[in-house]
Amino acid sequence: MSVPAMDITNWIDSPEYKELNFARKDLVINPAKACQPLGALICALGFEGCLPFVHGSQGCTAYFRNSLSRHYREPVGAVSDSMTEEAAVFGGQANLIEGLKNAYTLYKPGLMAVFTTCMAEVIGDDIKAYVDNARKQKAIPEDFPLALAHTPSFKGSHITGYDNMLKGFLEGLAAPRRHATHLRLYVVPGFDTYPGNLREYKRLLSLLGVTYTLLPDYSDVVDAPNTGEFKMYPGGTPLAELQEALNASGYLFLQTYSTSATLKYIKNVQKIPTETVPMPIGVTSTDKFLMTVSQMAGKSIPAELENERGRAVDAATDAHPYIHGKRFALFGDPDLLYGLTSFLLEMGGVPVHIISTNGSAAFAKEMEELLSSSPYGQEASVHLGKDLWHLRSLLLTEPVDMLIGDSHGKFAARDAGIPLVRIGFPITDRVNLHRYPIVGYAGVLNLITMIANAFLEEKDRTSADAYFELLR
Amino acid sequence: MFVNLSKLDLKETCSSADKGAPKLCLRALPGEGAERSCAFDGARVVLMPITDAAHLVHSPIACAGNSWDNRGARSSGSQLFRRGFTTDLKEQDIIYGGEKKLFQAILEIAAKHRPQAIFVYSSCVAALIGDDLEKTCARAQEQLTIPVIPVNAPGFLGDKNIGNRIAGDVLANRVIGTKDPEAPKVPLSINLIGEYNIAGDLWGVLPDLQNLGIRLQSAITGDARFADVQSAHRASLNVLVCSKSLTNLVRTMERRWQIPYINASFYGIRDTSQALQDIAAALGDPALIERTKFYIKKREAVIRQAIAQYRERLEGKTAILFTGGVKTWSMVSTLAELGINILAGGTQNSTPEDFLRMKELMDPTAQIIEDTSSAGFLDIIATKKPDLIVAGGKTKYLAHKTRTPFLDINHGRKLPYAGYEGMITFAQAVDRTVFSPVWELLARPFPSLEATR
Repeated sequence: MSVPAMDITNWIDSPEYKELNFARKDLVINPAKACQPLGALICALGFEGCLPFVHGSQGCTAYFRNSLSRHYREPVGAVSDSMTEEAAVFGGQANLIEGLKNAYTLYKPGLMAVFTTCMAEVIGDDIKAYVDNARKQKAIPEDFPLALAHTPSFKGSHITGYDNMLKGFLEGLAAPRRHATHLRLYVVPGFDTYPGNLREYKRLLSLLGVTYTLLPDYSDVVDAPNTGEFKMYPGGTPLAELQEALNASGYLFLQTYSTSATLKYIKNVQKIPTETVPMPIGVTSTDKFLMTVSQMAGKSIPAELENERGRAVDAATDAHPYIHGKRFALFGDPDLLYGLTSFLLEMGGVPVHIISTNGSAAFAKEMEELLSSSPYGQEASVHLGKDLWHLRSLLLTEPVDMLIGDSHGKFAARDAGIPLVRIGFPITDRVNLHRYPIVGYAGVLNLITMIANAFLEEKDRTSADAYFELLR
Repeated sequence: MFVNLSKLDLKETCSSADKGAPKLCLRALPGEGAERSCAFDGARVVLMPITDAAHLVHSPIACAGNSWDNRGARSSGSQLFRRGFTTDLKEQDIIYGGEKKLFQAILEIAAKHRPQAIFVYSSCVAALIGDDLEKTCARAQEQLTIPVIPVNAPGFLGDKNIGNRIAGDVLANRVIGTKDPEAPKVPLSINLIGEYNIAGDLWGVLPDLQNLGIRLQSAITGDARFADVQSAHRASLNVLVCSKSLTNLVRTMERRWQIPYINASFYGIRDTSQALQDIAAALGDPALIERTKFYIKKREAVIRQAIAQYRERLEGKTAILFTGGVKTWSMVSTLAELGINILAGGTQNSTPEDFLRMKELMDPTAQIIEDTSSAGFLDIIATKKPDLIVAGGKTKYLAHKTRTPFLDINHGRKLPYAGYEGMITFAQAVDRTVFSPVWELLARPFPSLEATR
C-alpha cells in the first residue's frame, strides 16, 4: 500500500484512496445509522399514554433522549432500569421488576413498551418471563398493558427496532381477530421522523372521508402545542384502537423496509387484507397512495385534492430548470431513499451516489428497477452497508451538485464544496424542518422549494458581480 | 473481564449525607428516568478533545451510531477527533468475538488516518463477550509506531463520573510523562485540568493567561494535541477547573511528578479574578503576583462596565440552577454578578465538595433540588416560578414547555462563557432569553369570541 509519509490531506481526496476506502472491512467511519432501541423508542412514543421503558444500560437511554430531543426540540420521556455490572452477572430480572414498579408509580403511564439494549441481549435476558414475574409480585397490576420487544443493536438498525416494537405492540396488546370486522382502515406510516408527514397523512385521509387509525402516531407527542404546561402524555394512537387493530378492515403500509416483520405478521399470520405502497414522496407515489386508499376504503378522491395536485405540478413546472440535469448524492433509510429517488427522477434530477447503510438486497433490487425505468437513473449506483466516509470519497472523486441527507452529511458536503439539503434523521442544525411534510402534494411543494432554493442561494453566494442577478 | 469498582476507590466520595447531594456511590434507581449517561460516555468526554488522536469505539452501533461528534468541544487544529470510528459489532462478532475485527480496525486507522495516537474504547458488549482490549491493543502496538491506548470503561460500570476517573487513570498511566520524562519543569506554566474547550471556553481564558505571562502547558483535555498532554508533567502547577471529573488525576500527578494543584473556576468576573490570583500565588512568583493584582482590577473594571446595561435590566430576576462540576457553585456567583438570585439549586454530576460550596454560596432560603427526575423538576418550576432556568440540554425543552426562559450551560451550548470575555457573552445570552418577546407572545390568550364581546 503506497501511503504518503506525512501529510494525507490531499491523498484522502484521491481516487486511489477511494479504492482503499471501499476495500475497508473491519471499521465503520462516520456511521449513518442508529441502533434498534432508538427506533423502538420512536415507535413507542406513538401510543397514547405509553412510557418507553428500556431494559438495559442507562447511558443508552440518556443518548436516545438526547438524540431525539435535539432533532424534535421537544422533551422526550423514557425510562431505563439502569442495569449495571451486577445485573450483567446475575441477569436483569431484579432491575426490570424494580424498574417497572418505580416507573409505574412515578410516571403513571397508561401502558409501557419494554425493549432491550444490547447488554440485556448478550446475557440473554428473558423479558417475557421477567414481566410475568413482575405481575405476580405485584410490581405492576396484573392486567397492566405492556408491549415487549427484543431489540439488540448488533442486528439491523433503528428501522429494525421500530419494526420489532410495532410487532410487539400488536402481538402483546391487540385482541384476537374476530370473524366480523369493523370498517376501520389501519394505516402504518413506518419509521418516519417527520411529525409533519403524519399530520399530512391524517389530513389526506380525512379529506377522503376514510375511517382510519394511524398506527402509531406520535405527531402530538414530539410536536406538542405550547400551553404553558408540560404534559407527559400529550397524544398518540389510543390503546382502544391498538386493541382493535387485528379487526381492521384492512392495512395500508406506507413504507416497506421499516415494517417488514409487522407486515408479515398482519398479512401472512393474521391474514388481514393488506396493501403496501412506496412512501408517498413525489407526484407518482402520492397518486398511488391516494388511489390505493380510495380503492381500499371505497371512497372517491375529492376535487380539492385534484386542485392541490394541480398546484404541485405547476410548482414543479416553474422550478424544473433548477433541478433538471443536476447531479445528486443521497443517503438515508431505504424507504426514504426510494421515495426521494422517485421524486428526483420525476423532476429530471440525476441521482448518482445512493448510500444506504441499512438497506437490504431486496431494497437494492427495487432501486435498480426504479432507476433503470428512467433515463435520469442511468448513472446511479446504490451502495449498501456503506458509511459517510465512503460517501465522502464518492463526492470527492465523482463530484455531484448537491447532497441530500441528514445533518451528519454536513462534513462530507463541506469537504466537497456542495450544498446539503437536510432530509432525514437526525436534523440537529436547522429549525423546524421536521414540521414540514415531505409526503403528499404538499411534500412535493416543500421538496421543490428546499432543493431549488438551495441551488439558487448557492448561485447568489458564489456568482461574480457580472452574473449577480435579480432574476433567477 | 470487568474493571473492579472497588478498585476505583469511590467510597471517599460517599461521605455527604446531605439531601440533594450527588449520589456518586449509589446506583441509579431503576425506572426513575434516564437522565444520566454512562461510564463509557464519561471516559470519552475526557479523552476525545485530544484532537490529533483517533478515537475508536469497540461496540455495536449503539455507542457510536447515535453519538459521534455530539459534543461541542472545539479544536483550533486537527479535526480528526470528531471522525466517528467504530467496529460496529454484529451478531457474528458477538458469537465469535470481536478481537480480530478490532485489531484490523486499529491498523486501518493507523495506516489511513495518520493519528498521533489511537484511543480504543470498550463498551458493555465488548466487555460482556470477553474481548481482551489490553491484549489486542498491545498486539497492534507491536506493528505501529504510535501509541494504541485501551480505555476500559464499559457503560454498565455506572455513571459518567466513573468513566471520568478511568480516563484520568488512562492519562496518568499511559500518556502523561511519556515524552521527555526527565525534562525539567517549565517555569510559570500550568495545566488546566478538566477544561474541555466547550464552545471555545478555553480561548476565552488564554489571552488573560498570556497577558500575565502564564504559560499553558496543556489543557486536559481541550483543544489538546497528544504531544502536549504527553509533556503535561512539565507544568509547574495543575489548575483543576472541573473538579468532578479528574480529581484523581491531579492527585496522581502531585504524587508522581510533584505538581501541586489548586481548584479554580473561570466562570464569572469574581471567580476568574480569584482563579488568576490563586494561580499567581501558587506559582509563587512575586512579580507575577504583583502584576496579576493590577491586571485583574483593570479587567474587572472593563468587564463590569460592559455588562452594566445587562445587569441593570436583570437585577432582581430569579433563577433555578441545575448543573454539574465546578459550575455547580461558580454559576451561583456568576448569576449574582448579574443581579440574579437563585431560588433553587441542584446537581447530579459533581463532587460533594462542589455541592457543599454551592450551598454555602446560595441564600439560605434557596431550596436544594432533591428530586432530580423530570417530575421533580416540573414541581420546582411550578412552585418557584423562576425568571430563568440555567441547566443542561435535557432540561431545555421542559423549560420551554413551562414557558420559562432557559440557558444551556452544559455541553450543548454554542457560546463560550469562560473568562472575562465569556462573562460578556454570558450576560448577553441571559439577557437575550430572559427578555425575548416570545414569552409575552406565549402568555397572550387565544382570541376567542368571549374575549371580543
